[in-house]
Amino acid sequence: MIRPNAEVSNENTLGRLFKKNNKTIIGIFTTVLALLFISPYIYIVLTSIKPSSDAISPSPTFFPRELSLENYVTIFNQMPIVKYFFNSFITASISTILAVFLGSLAAYGLSRFSSKTGNIFLLLTLCVRMIPMISIAIPMYIIINGMGLIDTRIALIITYTAINVPFAIWLMIGFFNNVPKEFDEAARIDGCNIFTAFIKVILPVSLPGLATAAIFCFMLAWNDFLFALLLTSTNAKTATVGISEFLTAYNLDLGPMTAAAVSFSLPVMVFSILVQRYIVSGMTLGAVKE
Amino acid sequence: MTKESRISIYFFAPAGIFMLIFLFFPVALLVRDSFFEIDMIAQGRGTFVGLSHYIDAIRSERFIGATTNTIIYVVVAVGFELILGLFFALLLNTAFKGHGIVRTIMLAPLMIAPLVTGLIWKFMLNNQFGIVNKLLYDFNITSSRHAIQWLSDERFALLSTIIADIWLTTPFMMLVLLAGLQGISPTLYESSQIDGANKIQTFLYVTLPSLFPVMIVAVLIRTVDAARTFDIVWVLTQGGPSNSSEVLSTYMYKTLTRYGQVGESSAMAVIFIILLLAVSSYFLIAMFKANKK
Repeated sequence: MIRPNAEVSNENTLGRLFKKNNKTIIGIFTTVLALLFISPYIYIVLTSIKPSSDAISPSPTFFPRELSLENYVTIFNQMPIVKYFFNSFITASISTILAVFLGSLAAYGLSRFSSKTGNIFLLLTLCVRMIPMISIAIPMYIIINGMGLIDTRIALIITYTAINVPFAIWLMIGFFNNVPKEFDEAARIDGCNIFTAFIKVILPVSLPGLATAAIFCFMLAWNDFLFALLLTSTNAKTATVGISEFLTAYNLDLGPMTAAAVSFSLPVMVFSILVQRYIVSGMTLGAVKE
Repeated sequence: MTKESRISIYFFAPAGIFMLIFLFFPVALLVRDSFFEIDMIAQGRGTFVGLSHYIDAIRSERFIGATTNTIIYVVVAVGFELILGLFFALLLNTAFKGHGIVRTIMLAPLMIAPLVTGLIWKFMLNNQFGIVNKLLYDFNITSSRHAIQWLSDERFALLSTIIADIWLTTPFMMLVLLAGLQGISPTLYESSQIDGANKIQTFLYVTLPSLFPVMIVAVLIRTVDAARTFDIVWVLTQGGPSNSSEVLSTYMYKTLTRYGQVGESSAMAVIFIILLLAVSSYFLIAMFKANKK
């Protein structure tokens, strides 16, 4: 089910189209293409460390002519960016913990003990994935508004958790199904009840699964823009909404905008390269069977 | 009730109750609201208007326009992503020296926020200061630096949003297809070689059919995601100019927040859900058939 390693060199298709010494050519060709592909991001990073005026120069250059941190200074002066990042981080973290906790409990129940109610819920859970976010956002806005929770972090935490729980269930079932039932039985013989067996034995061996679920839940919340835009205004505003405010009709803030975009996405980029193994397993799960 | 199913319910209950309150109830509320005329300020229950919001939506030109744009967006974006993703997956599957590093480079944008993607392309496609127009001019493709008003020309606005989407999600397509390619059993290739198939025949009759189920799932996931796109379009064009890049999500958002029409936007959201469920069940049936073979 998990297939994170491309290192398993498995020559076929194109590999057979070319002889071995042509591999170098393919390698160079692909590397050039990949660098071209990633170049928009590199361009943004390079622009963010140019002087602010270079971002709105009529003849832009790819590489900086001069280095400057002006754009970064501007974002700190212009808006409470630290607060926005803090809001993003807090709402994403708490909703991730909640979603992974609730999701893995439910997934374990569904994976180990079959029941009709559970299966109906599982089917509904899968349907939720097909529902457009905006369709949940509309009634959510009404409900949150009715509860008087507009512009609070709690509103975002509830929303992100609700969206992530089905995903966490769906992902964790796959992992729990791979844990042999003998583990549960052994734990029960050693005097655990069902709940402690789950906490002490099953969860620890499912750590890669938990990590995968946590990464995806966190990223969904961290990257969210629609719900934050709809449900917050000042106090609970998240980084994505804050950054989007650099877009003005007059293009004057394009430089600081690149700095804000980089501050928001570069840590994510580095982190996602570090945990690529989990991301790959999460994304190919469901699509590729063992 | 057996003991087994009772335990199952204990484990499931916390998540189940949470989802009931904050997921299934909202969807039920959405369906209810779609039949009512609701005043956001009065906070009342509204008056029952039956199917009139649905009829209005289907008859409205803007809704039809947004639906058409969403379909164009999905078909063009997912189509290009599939072709580009397959192309990169095949290249990486040749396992040349250093393919691991190139794969990491390709996968780097995987987790970038759609919002940030929108900002990147907003900057690059900028009419006055964008590097894309400059490059087109430098390579003599266009005759002036401002030849294409990417974001403010009705002919190009939707295309611009599609370009940003393709850039963001081609790595996902590549990743899934690469995993699919690596799952094809080498014995299939050996037997096709014994049968004397040439490279193109091998690709058409071995690689593609074996990859088909994976492709369907990848296209399904991407179709659902592309259909509900909001961030990219909102940042790049907000659906403009003159609704030329309006997609369903942005139109519903405006209907709700700018015009405060809860009933109307709910009805459209219900139609949207039905459309997406119909498309995805079509895919799932296709996949089921492919697996049977």
